[in-house]
Amino acid sequence: MPSEPQIKLLPYKKRQQFFGLLLVIFVVALPTLIFYTTGHRLNLSDPLSKIITTGGMYVTTNDLNVDVYLDEKQFERPRLFRSAYYIQNIETGQHRVVVQREGLYTWVKELPIDPYMVVEAAAFNMPLIPHIRPIAEYETATGTGVFLAKSTSTVLFPKATTTTAFLISAATANSSYVENEEYPFVQSLFSTSTATSTSVFSPIGTDRPRFRFSTTTATALERTLDFVEKNNMRLEEQGNELVAIWQGSSNSVPFYFCVTHTLSPIVTERYGTHVAAQVEEQRLSTTTPLLSDNDRVCRSQIKIDRKRKDIYFYDFFPGSVDLVLIQLEDGLYVTEIDDRAWQNTQLIYPGSEFKVVINNQSIFIAEAGTYFELLTEIEDN
Amino acid sequence: MEESTAHLLPYARRPDFKVARATELSGANRRLYRLLEMIPGLLAWLTLILLLFASVYAPFFAAYFIIAFSIYWVLKTVFLSYHVRYNWKRLKHHMELDWQQMVERFKYDHFYHLLVFPFYKEPQEVLEDALEGLIKAKYDCKKLIVVLAAEARAGTAAADLARAMEKKYAHHFGHFLVTIHPADIPGEIAGKGSNTHYALHQVREHIIDAHHIPYSHVIASVFDIDTVIYKDYLNCLMWHFLTAEEPYKSAFQPVPLFTNNLWEAPALSRVMAMSSTFWQMIMQERPDRAATFSSHSVSFQALYEIGYGQANVVSEDSRIFWNLFVANNGHFQIVPIAYPIAMDATVAPTFFGTVKNIYRQHRRWTYGTENWCYLVYHFIKNKTIPLRQRITLAAMQGEGYWSLVTNPIILFILGWAPIVLGTREFHETVLSYELPIIVRNLMIVAMVGLVVSSIISLSLTPPRPPHHSRFTYVVMALQWIMVPITMIAFSAIPGLDAQTRLMLGKYMGFWVTPKRIK
Repeated sequence: MPSEPQIKLLPYKKRQQFFGLLLVIFVVALPTLIFYTTGHRLNLSDPLSKIITTGGMYVTTNDLNVDVYLDEKQFERPRLFRSAYYIQNIETGQHRVVVQREGLYTWVKELPIDPYMVVEAAAFNMPLIPHIRPIAEYETATGTGVFLAKSTSTVLFPKATTTTAFLISAATANSSYVENEEYPFVQSLFSTSTATSTSVFSPIGTDRPRFRFSTTTATALERTLDFVEKNNMRLEEQGNELVAIWQGSSNSVPFYFCVTHTLSPIVTERYGTHVAAQVEEQRLSTTTPLLSDNDRVCRSQIKIDRKRKDIYFYDFFPGSVDLVLIQLEDGLYVTEIDDRAWQNTQLIYPGSEFKVVINNQSIFIAEAGTYFELLTEIEDN
Repeated sequence: MEESTAHLLPYARRPDFKVARATELSGANRRLYRLLEMIPGLLAWLTLILLLFASVYAPFFAAYFIIAFSIYWVLKTVFLSYHVRYNWKRLKHHMELDWQQMVERFKYDHFYHLLVFPFYKEPQEVLEDALEGLIKAKYDCKKLIVVLAAEARAGTAAADLARAMEKKYAHHFGHFLVTIHPADIPGEIAGKGSNTHYALHQVREHIIDAHHIPYSHVIASVFDIDTVIYKDYLNCLMWHFLTAEEPYKSAFQPVPLFTNNLWEAPALSRVMAMSSTFWQMIMQERPDRAATFSSHSVSFQALYEIGYGQANVVSEDSRIFWNLFVANNGHFQIVPIAYPIAMDATVAPTFFGTVKNIYRQHRRWTYGTENWCYLVYHFIKNKTIPLRQRITLAAMQGEGYWSLVTNPIILFILGWAPIVLGTREFHETVLSYELPIIVRNLMIVAMVGLVVSSIISLSLTPPRPPHHSRFTYVVMALQWIMVPITMIAFSAIPGLDAQTRLMLGKYMGFWVTPKRIK
């Protein structure tokens, strides 16, 4: 048996040495990590430029299972941002980002990357084939929707798919079915609206039947203008154009209204000719002046791409102020206000003979005597 | 209780030696002490508010600070884990040694162990476990002076219980004394400190002096009532006392293991209990930064020279060390004995009750900030203590109280503030996006500390009672993921609560942690 313990108190000198080692690690790690987190990277492949400055891209998506490519290279979703991709280490210059998924439209954008900065983008991907939830007038006892038709072989929704089961009954007697409570409600939405297939750009002053929904706000002074507003963003008809107007403060203006350079050739190169033209136009305008915000200038309005077609209906896409729902001659589209490079526009329901109502974040369509809800997200397998 | 001051050390004769709060002083001293009471709370709040403001108005600076702080935290975790691991090895080694055999080479039969157990309304089984622990110890019980210190304010039930214990156990020990601490003695605050203070007076008068035992031959251990000693503890303590360079200028600190009821305690309580143990294990290897905590031992001679410590403070267990330190002009130290004593983890009949009790217990512990005011006050007054020692100790202790309160909040809450509150210009930078990623990665690295904690805690867990599932071991291993929450809820917030009370002059009283063993 030893006369004293073999393990002594941790020597002070050893503690100091360990502390010193950690201090050295701190002194080395701090500038290294600050260097890294501000966007600097070591470039071992280029002997002339050992240190490069990089930027990043932050892309939000409305679908969690999309694939994101930057310059044709796929990126994994960082765990920290659930519904967004943060792409690091991007060298300065123009870069093309692609967001896609099978069964959805592909969203593409070309954006400039500046050193130390992160450029934002909001991608959206709508279903290629419209996906609907039919709303039948009757239901079976188990809740299956029942549509009454001349023949059970009638194709009720030829342009869409659905995962909601329903029956087509040729029986004229409907006593075995119960009424679907949702049906009269949806029916009432359309009966109270004045939706039509007439262009919203028909001459003002004529007795133009127009669909408007309950969220429409128009002041007495602006009676001659038609618009919708949501969270400081206004969609407004100006002549034959539909424009998105930012009405909030300059420091909270959405990123896509702004450019960080004001010289036209540079703006053209970075964002496209149309953006440069709008910047120039608004620079000289007294009614829609540019908003100045420290290191950037921001347009106060952006023209919505209507594909040179008449617009029959427009509103904000449910749950968004960055996306616009527009009904054109050939169908219902979703388009983004962000016009950097171009505006992505996706057809979500084709056709010309239908009416649209938005109610409580849902898009309802009435077509050929049937009603259905248009779903814009596809279920994951 | 009037008494002569002739036996006191010169510095301990000062009227302000046992100051507990500013209101007990007058004039410039009162203002000085009040300022000192305000400093910890002010510093903590200033740190948090400044960081919040920086996040809004200078987010880049705040982001750099948070990166620096995260690195510091990782390295601190590594540094502290290193100490825990080393102490764990030493503790295990000490537990394997035969201290009785080791102490045999010394002549020590003239020494007495004075064991003071202050209690309030704890149940009989808690007292029995403590006394049974002494009887089972590998030590001559006739050399033990046991004091059961009851509180008059606990009513006749506590006094009756003490008498019953005396009747049942007194014959095992050399001496046994029951003391009843009178309620409402002027200048005291109700609590363990005043009870102990009274008991020490009584035991000197009725036993030590009565039996002509030299004070230098008595090693006094003030134990929480839930303290159950390991069999070789008294031998281990004796060995350290006999081999200490200056035993009469030393306090002997064991490692408190809150394991008596560990299997009955909920995971939250276990994490907090083990976290406290780990902190004490770290302090065992850094005695230059330590003070006494909870159950500890010191020679009766040293206690007598300072008048037995203070009866008017909340954190009396640490205050006694600072009393001894300043009275001995800085010539007093902690001897860490790296040997465990078993105590109770905080529990209550309900989970919410447990949460409440843990919060209150930690608020009381973190009210130990009052000791910083005391030591800085006396460091200013007692110029005999070397200046460097005064500055170093004041800074180290101050940093401890500051970091206890601010670090978890900075790390787990304010670390995100620049991202949430920063300017638009900041939000557009790579730094803004990289900040959460780098902080998250650094925190993952810091998790190494939790892994170490998990392994060590399992090794210190008492054997599984048959009625508990083996699955509990898995829970015990994984329970450490709660640490970020417990650090905020049971360290930072109660600490901030305690420091704010002190800052505002709303002085706390002693709160008795309920002991409950099934």
